[in-house]
Amino acid sequence: MKIFFLYQHFFLSGKTKAGTLIFAMTLSFSSCLRLDDNLYNKTKLTEYKLDNYTGEVDFTLDYSYHIPDSLVHVFTLQSQSNDESSATNIYALYIGNINTIASDTVIMYCHGNKDHMDFYWQRAKLLANTKSKNRFGVLMIDYRGFGMSEGEPTEDALYTDVEAGLKWLKNSGLTNDRLVIYGFSMGTAPATKLSAEPRSLKPCKLILEAPFASAEVMVQDATGLALPGTCVTDLKINNGEEIKSVQQPFFWIHGVEDDFLNITTHGEVVYANYKGTYKEAHRIPNAGHSSIPSTMGFLNYTNAIGDFITQH
Amino acid sequence: MRLKFLFFLFLSFFFSCAPSRFVKPLEKKQHAANVSLGGPLFKYGTATIPVPFLTASYGYGIDSTLTGFAAINVTSALYGNFQMELGATKQLLKQKKYIPALSISTVANIIYRDKDAHKFYPQLDINVFWEYGKRKNFFYVGFDNWFELSQKKAYDIKQSNRWMFTPLIGHDFTGKKWNFKMEAKIIAPNLSNEKLTVEYQTPFKNHGALGIYLGYTYKFN
Repeated sequence: MKIFFLYQHFFLSGKTKAGTLIFAMTLSFSSCLRLDDNLYNKTKLTEYKLDNYTGEVDFTLDYSYHIPDSLVHVFTLQSQSNDESSATNIYALYIGNINTIASDTVIMYCHGNKDHMDFYWQRAKLLANTKSKNRFGVLMIDYRGFGMSEGEPTEDALYTDVEAGLKWLKNSGLTNDRLVIYGFSMGTAPATKLSAEPRSLKPCKLILEAPFASAEVMVQDATGLALPGTCVTDLKINNGEEIKSVQQPFFWIHGVEDDFLNITTHGEVVYANYKGTYKEAHRIPNAGHSSIPSTMGFLNYTNAIGDFITQH
Repeated sequence: MRLKFLFFLFLSFFFSCAPSRFVKPLEKKQHAANVSLGGPLFKYGTATIPVPFLTASYGYGIDSTLTGFAAINVTSALYGNFQMELGATKQLLKQKKYIPALSISTVANIIYRDKDAHKFYPQLDINVFWEYGKRKNFFYVGFDNWFELSQKKAYDIKQSNRWMFTPLIGHDFTGKKWNFKMEAKIIAPNLSNEKLTVEYQTPFKNHGALGIYLGYTYKFN
């Protein structure tokens, strides 16, 4: 408000040039809002309800996809990077038998930028039931600030939090050859990063659903201009570059009608830049950003995922 | 779903953040300070509101048909960018009864964040205006044109949108020391808005956006 009073004072007193200059300089150098935090469209929870969750979800599965309570485990993890002095408590959910992780194939599911694990519960159930009933173990975490996880999300924290999940899997006996990492939307950033630059575990396969190429492409898509991304965001997420370092087999799936992350400017770039050993593309007609499984049909979707995991 | 992606609201149609600066030139040696608020309309929950772009400008009457001006985009400044307009409005034709006056404005739009993030966009506005009544209020119609000079965007993809065309209509209420402007624009009706993330309100179904702007100008000698 002070700025506006100063501005008004100078204009009304006729000292226009001085007022304008001060106003311009103050605003120009008193930065800065950044759009980074707005990427995290998170919602806090006091408890996870899973099948009893009544909020908005992308789709709801019928009882044939039911997971017995004995195979659903909600627990906390300590997430801490080398640069952090203390750990942050985040929540994780594992679908499967914890005692058989040492011999199971597990999908690390990195969810998108919305809400929390309750919102993505249906998707996790679908993956757990890929190919056959409870065929794969699925680990999902809520990033910092999402759901019941403590702290605030940042780009680095996304990677650290997923890595905390991978450490838990490793400690539970999982090996590289049975780890598949799956990223959806914002979750494609940690999935790609940790495939390209593995830390505790190196995923043997990478699945990206509706990936984004980079924050800069988001900016350019939204403005219609070739505007530098750094004008509004400090996000360094760059799947389009990161994917060049991924050697593991790669499965890409994207809705042709995706009106959030355009298939051409985002997904096709990521797919084209992959130079690894094997890749397959699934461009889904009539599917939007969040509707690939329901548009394809759940069985077709899980068959495609399952074939990739088991055959390549 | 799209409404919750706040990330994009500020970005929406970056090139349509203000109304026409000076459709009718100032008097010779007259100064003017202006603030404007408005932007493209988008659906937010059950309401339809304009993106709140705030700009401030200063103009000077070089002669009775030529006004120079400079403006800053306050919203952009809040995000750490120095976004400035430098321009001039030249009146080419006087009004003859019902035949409107004609003016053009050439503008240099400069966006600077750091040595790696800066852009220049030339702009050409063409307007016709009709004065009426004792107070010399006037209404105007015209179009803005922004030009994207870059041929490539991220990942060397071809920049297909090189010309941002925006027809507009507006009205200036004129006082001795002030003007109050209302303007509506059909922003980029030649461009599809289907995959631009923000849910725009537009009369052209899947193209462009409708923008609404208000401006207040204080004039002094």
